[in-house]
Amino acid sequence: MSIIVKNLSFTYSAKTPYEKKALDNINLEINDGDFLGIIGHTGSGKSTFIQHINGLIKPQEGEIEIFDIKLSSARRPKADLRALRSQVGMVFQYPEYQLFADTVEKDVAFGPKNLGLSSEEVADRVRHAIEMVGLDYEMVKDRAPFELSGGQKRRVAIAGIIAMQPKVLILDEPTAGLDPFGKEQILNLIKYLKTHCSPTIVVISHDIDEITRFANRIVVFNDSKIVYDEPMQQLFKHSRQLQDMGLDIPRAVKIANSLRYRGIELSEDIVTAEDLLREIIDKYNQKHGTELDKDGCVFDMYDFSQKWLTSEERAALEGRTLEQKPQAKKQRSSKSKTLREKTVKTKTVKKVNTKEKFEGSEK
Amino acid sequence: MAVLLDNVTYSYNINDTHRVDAVKNLSLHIEEGTFVALVGHNGSGKSTLAKLLNGLLLPTAGTVKIFGNSTLDGEKIFDIRKDVGMVFQNPDNQMIASIVEDDIAFGPENLGIERKEIIRRVEWALDKVGMLEYRKRTPFKMSGGQKQRLAIAGVLAIMPKILVLDESTAMLDPQGRSEVLKVAHELNKQERITVIHITHFMEEALDADRLIVLNDGKIAFDGAPKEVFAHYEELKKIKLAVPWETQLAISLQKAGMDLGEGIVKEEDLVDKLCQLL
Repeated sequence: MSIIVKNLSFTYSAKTPYEKKALDNINLEINDGDFLGIIGHTGSGKSTFIQHINGLIKPQEGEIEIFDIKLSSARRPKADLRALRSQVGMVFQYPEYQLFADTVEKDVAFGPKNLGLSSEEVADRVRHAIEMVGLDYEMVKDRAPFELSGGQKRRVAIAGIIAMQPKVLILDEPTAGLDPFGKEQILNLIKYLKTHCSPTIVVISHDIDEITRFANRIVVFNDSKIVYDEPMQQLFKHSRQLQDMGLDIPRAVKIANSLRYRGIELSEDIVTAEDLLREIIDKYNQKHGTELDKDGCVFDMYDFSQKWLTSEERAALEGRTLEQKPQAKKQRSSKSKTLREKTVKTKTVKKVNTKEKFEGSEK
Repeated sequence: MAVLLDNVTYSYNINDTHRVDAVKNLSLHIEEGTFVALVGHNGSGKSTLAKLLNGLLLPTAGTVKIFGNSTLDGEKIFDIRKDVGMVFQNPDNQMIASIVEDDIAFGPENLGIERKEIIRRVEWALDKVGMLEYRKRTPFKMSGGQKQRLAIAGVLAIMPKILVLDESTAMLDPQGRSEVLKVAHELNKQERITVIHITHFMEEALDADRLIVLNDGKIAFDGAPKEVFAHYEELKKIKLAVPWETQLAISLQKAGMDLGEGIVKEEDLVDKLCQLL
C-alpha cells in the first residue's frame, strides 16, 4: 500500500465569510502499481487533495500515510517533507511555467540537488531524466528552456520531477493546452514512465477519453467528496449519475448508450473505442452473416507518422545499448545506489560473472 | 470583405543571419458574418496569422486588409484595432480591473466615449456573454470559462466587427469551453460578428461555416468542416486528428462496413449505425 488517506477534511479560509469546504471526509487507499485517474468538476476538491499527498497542504483533520511518512494536523513529530517529496513527485498544471534556469540541464538538476545528492549522482540523474522524457541530452542540455517548443518545455519540466526518481508520480492536467500531437507524446511518455520510473501514477484530467486509455482505476470527486472509486471498466455503469454531476463520459459509452436507447442490444462492458468497434462489428456480422475481422479493426486516430521515440528506441536506432551514452563521453564511475533497474541488473550480472570466474579459477 | 490577405509573408528574425517564415505567401478572404475555425499543430502559424489581423504584427511582404483598411497604413491602424477584437489563451492575463464593470469599461473609456454610452455598452456586452448579474463582482475568483466570457465582453464593448479567439478555450474545462463556444456562436448569429476561432479541439470546428487548416505557414485545407475531415489521412500527416466520431466511422469503414462519408457528429454516427445493425 503506497498511500493511505483517512478521514481527511480541509476548509479554505475557515472562520471567515469566505469559508469553503474543499475536502469532506476523504478516505482512499492508493496501491503500489495503481494507474489512477481522478476526475471531477473544477472546484470539486481534486487539486486540494493531491496537494495534500505531496505535503504542500497540511491536513486540518484526518491523516495521510505515505510509505512510512505520516502526515496529520499534529504539530509533532514533524513529518520529513523532504523524504516525502523525493518519493512523491508532483507535476502541476502547465509545469512549463515553472521553468526558471538558464539551461535545461540546470533546471532539471534543481530538484535532485535539493535532495542533497552528490554532484556526480545529480549529473547522472539529470542525463537519465532528460533521456527518459525523449529529448536528446547532448542537444538540449545547454539550451535555454524558453527556446524549446511547448511540448518540449513540458517534457523538460516533467524531467525535473523524474530526476528525483519518485515512486509515485502525480500529474495535474498533463496534456492541457497542447495540440493533438503534443498530447499524444505526453500520454505515451506517461505510459513509459509507469514502467520505467514511477510504478504508481495518479493523473487528474478533464478529458475522460484520455483517462480511459490508461487508467486501471478511477476516482470521482464531487462537491468535496469522493463519490465513486471503481475499476475503470466498472465506473461507467453509473454514466447517468456522472452526467448529472456535469461530468463527461467516454464517447464510446455515450454512443453505446444512444444505440441501446434506439433498441440495439450491446454488451455492458464498452468503455473504449476499441470495445465499441469490436461490439459493432460483432453485431453487424450476426445480422448480415458476414465475417468482418473484428480484431484487425484499429482505432488509429493517434497513429501519427512522426512518433516520439523513447530513449531505448533511440538507442536501438543508433545501435547502442541504453547504458552507452550517445557520443560516448568520458564514462563516469557511478556509485549511485538508485540507478535505474536496468543498469542495476546489468551490474549484478557482471558481478556474478566475475564471481563465477573467481570460483572457476579456484577449482 | 471582412478580411483580405494578399500574398502575406511574415518572418521572425532568429538572429542577424537566420530568419524563419511563420506565414508564407498566404492569401485568404473571409466574408463578413462567417464563423471560421482555424486549426493547425503548434508552430503552424495560427497565432502569427491572428496577430497579423489587427496589426500587432505587420506583414514582411504582402498586405493585410480589414474592411479595406491595410494594417500597413499608420492612419488606419486604430480603426483596425477597433474592428478586430482579440481574446487570448490565458483567462488570468486579460483582466485589469478588480470589478467586472470597470474591466469591461476600460476599452470604451480609452476611446473617449461618453459616460452614458459606456454604461449602455457595458450592460449590453455583459448581457451578451450571460454575465450581467456579475457586474459588481470581482473577476479573480471566477471560473476560467467565466473569465474568458468577461474577456470577450471587454472586447465587445469596443463594438468590433471581427472577433478573434486565439486558443481561448485551450485552458478551460469542458464546461467552460462549451460556454465560450456558445457565446461565440450567438454573437456570430445575432450580431453578425465575424468570428475566427483558433483551436486544437477538432470537435469545436464542427459547427463552423468554414474550417481552415494551416500547416507550415500555408493553408493546407479550406472548406466546410465535413469536406475537410474527409481528408483524414492527409490531416494525420500534418499532426492533426479528425473528430472522434469520424475516426470511428473510418475504422468501421476499413473493416468492411459501408457507412458512407460525412460522419462528423454523434447523431450522424448513431443514425447510420442504427440503419446497419
